[in-house]
Amino acid sequence: MRRLGWIYLIAIFTFIFLPVIVLVLFSFQDSRLPVPPFDGPTLKWYVQVINDRSMMEALRNSAFVAFTSAAIALLLGFLAAQGLSRVILPGSVLMRGLLIAPMTVSYLIIALGLLTVFNNLGIRPSLWATGVGHVVINLPLCFAILFAAMGDHQKNAERAARDLGASELQVVFLISAPMLKPALLAAYFLSVTFSWDEFIIAFLLTRFDVTLPVEIWSMLRSGLSPATNAIGSIVFLVSISLLVLLEITVFRKPKS
Amino acid sequence: MTADVSLKSIQHSFGTFQALKDINLTFDAGEFVVLLGPSGCGKSTLLAILGGFLTPTSGHIKIGGQDMSRVPPKDRPTTTMFQDYALFPHMSLRKNVGFGLQMRGQSKKERNRRADEMLELVGLLDKANHKPHELSGGQRQRVALARALAVSPDVLLLDEPLGALDLKLRRQMQDELKAIQREVGTTFVHVTHDQEEAMSIADKIIVMNQGSVEDVGTAEDVYMRPKTLFSANFMGELNTLPPTQGEPATNTVNCVRPENIGQAGDVSMGQAVLENSAFFGTYHRCHFRSTGNDKTSYIANFPVGTVPQVGQEIPLFASNIITLETDT
Repeated sequence: MRRLGWIYLIAIFTFIFLPVIVLVLFSFQDSRLPVPPFDGPTLKWYVQVINDRSMMEALRNSAFVAFTSAAIALLLGFLAAQGLSRVILPGSVLMRGLLIAPMTVSYLIIALGLLTVFNNLGIRPSLWATGVGHVVINLPLCFAILFAAMGDHQKNAERAARDLGASELQVVFLISAPMLKPALLAAYFLSVTFSWDEFIIAFLLTRFDVTLPVEIWSMLRSGLSPATNAIGSIVFLVSISLLVLLEITVFRKPKS
Repeated sequence: MTADVSLKSIQHSFGTFQALKDINLTFDAGEFVVLLGPSGCGKSTLLAILGGFLTPTSGHIKIGGQDMSRVPPKDRPTTTMFQDYALFPHMSLRKNVGFGLQMRGQSKKERNRRADEMLELVGLLDKANHKPHELSGGQRQRVALARALAVSPDVLLLDEPLGALDLKLRRQMQDELKAIQREVGTTFVHVTHDQEEAMSIADKIIVMNQGSVEDVGTAEDVYMRPKTLFSANFMGELNTLPPTQGEPATNTVNCVRPENIGQAGDVSMGQAVLENSAFFGTYHRCHFRSTGNDKTSYIANFPVGTVPQVGQEIPLFASNIITLETDT
């Protein structure tokens, strides 16, 4: 039984990580095609990617869109959650439903909708338009995470703060936000990750300045190359670093 | 630091439910007042109205002579100690206790000095740099008290603060609360459903039922000389004496506490048989059944060593009889 458990463990991790391992391995491939047999190792593809100006430009664009749109989605999601958890309005349930609804709509549909709206408004495709799209997909996520994290505990602490003389702004900055810190960071970094990876909206709503997934896609059109693996490995390294950072700073259980 | 409170014709409704019906009360400055009643009697609603968390449907509240009926919690000279303590989990005890002073714009040095003073008052100065999650329930309780008192409120409101503690700790905290109240002199308004707790700490007990005040007085008043049958029953066990034969029917009833029934006393209750008894440390709780026509059963507390045999028939006497109007 015990051995079966270990076999299962290895199998499941192989299943999850094999694609990533292959991707990273063949980024060190010496020949021109990232297919077996492996004949590396070399770092020349990394050098090529880092010297590729349009690729680096795309990397910067992606970071800009991801961090900015995630910040806006977080702010809007926080305000919505704070409001709906505190006050009972007519149609509170409906409003909550509507806020979360975009999660169930496919990114393609959202992208098409935004494209149509922007066209009618005369707004050109751009990084900003893409950013708006990413706020649309990440706002429901931020709202759901933060709303779930706001319990009675939070409400009582806020009430106590008001009782001790705090203004509404002081309540938000000194009590609500610090108490929600783990949820706020989780929502923010998840949003960054989703925006960083997102392709369809970025593809339809950018034109000259593109994000990394769009740049990689256009690179793929000219065929497979270990350079694509190299950029993929860099992206993977960034994501995994963020995750590890988050794990050791935020989600580490306090010793009690 | 301390102030008197007056409530005039306070009414409050939640939708069609009338939670408070015409409450008129006054508390003296520096008094330890306990609002006592079963759950749903309106005592917590009344406390929320005092704290400003609810605006009464009608009526007026004055604290220290000033009308506070429409003043929000943060501008009232009241602070509340909440049932679940509501400490700020991300702040040290010192910052928790100093929070109210921070909101009043006091310097860090000044508020830390005051916070340490308050923590010393509740015996937790050595834990000033700890976070709330490192404390036990009783300790959190004390921090909540220190935090509420740090801003020197005129009136401190306590919403069933001891409800979550075990019995022994609760008794200990009651004594501490009382001692601290004596020391700071602030008017305390304390909500509870535990009559023993009320008797052990209150200068004035207010018995409430179904949104109305049933009785007001010292522990002795409400226990020995209750104004209503509800109040009498809520404060402790009560025996109802059958109406005397031949007298005209009235709407009053004679009652007697278990400790006021004995083998000697003011009024004869006739013969009764001891059915069973149980030992309670300082007394025996005895169940008697009258051998008269009515077969009434009585509960009597007999001093240790004076209990008859089970099955023995003895004459019973009552003293300190309470005469009350029946509800109907």
